[in-house]
Amino acid sequence: MMEFQPGEERGKDGRRIIKVRKEDLIGTLTKLKAEGYIHLSLITGVDRKDFIEVVYHLHSFERNEYISVKTVTYNSEVPSVTSLWKSADWEEREEYDLVGIRFIGHPNLKRMFLPENWVGHPLRKDYDLKNVQYINVDEEGEDYATFDPGDGW
Amino acid sequence: MKTGDPGILTTTLEKALEWGRSNSLWPLTFGLACCAIEMMAVQASKVDISRFGSEIFRNSPRQSDLMIVSGTVTKKMAPRVKRLYDEMPYPKYVIAMGVCVIQGGPYVEGYSVVLGVDRVIPVDVYVPGCPPTPEALTYGIITLQKKIRGEATR
Repeated sequence: MMEFQPGEERGKDGRRIIKVRKEDLIGTLTKLKAEGYIHLSLITGVDRKDFIEVVYHLHSFERNEYISVKTVTYNSEVPSVTSLWKSADWEEREEYDLVGIRFIGHPNLKRMFLPENWVGHPLRKDYDLKNVQYINVDEEGEDYATFDPGDGW
Repeated sequence: MKTGDPGILTTTLEKALEWGRSNSLWPLTFGLACCAIEMMAVQASKVDISRFGSEIFRNSPRQSDLMIVSGTVTKKMAPRVKRLYDEMPYPKYVIAMGVCVIQGGPYVEGYSVVLGVDRVIPVDVYVPGCPPTPEALTYGIITLQKKIRGEATR
């Protein structure tokens, strides 16, 4: 089992990687944004089986430097950073859709790519690929997921 | 072979119709992924399918009679592919271009890709490759023309 230790280290390319507990996440990101890392370039979610890791990639235009902020969650819940960056809205919706991370405080946490009634989150390690789901379109033009391959397939 | 309802036409007239249809296959402007780049190259000057009668890529399915499914068909796109196919007038033909369209390709273990577009619409000619070269797609179109004329061996 991998252990998570808060602290700071350097990545293979020399990039700063700051590891924080999720309680300290908003405070750390607010401080970094005030330091000049004003651009949230990416949010990624990694399923490590025991826990889920959420990585925030920040960029400073003044220093021309990328840094990463990592946090972990054991119950798939992470505070939302939409109060700091508006662009986090869709990034977090994508994470919720594919990895199943629930961002607490997100204004509109709906699925981004998959239909609303899709079962499971596909990028989880425990997602069952044998239960094949299909997508159809109803009369109103809305997508819906189904386990039944008939009806247009 | 899909040549429409032959009715009471004589063989000779049917042959004339097949000849006409095979030499004016108008494809649908329909690119789904990277294979579409090679499909555009087929239309451009180096490998020019105008030489074989596939003159222009039509922008409406109602004006076209060949659908080149070029690129990965995702499960979200599959109902739209079927709808575009249904909007095309008879006689209509389908070329499956690239391994993604044929059986899923590198996404065969994924959750989001249709494992072969022939699960959704009928396919006449399969052109394998990742992506197929423009020459390969041209060969596929020539093979389809032979198939329409009833000359294809298999």
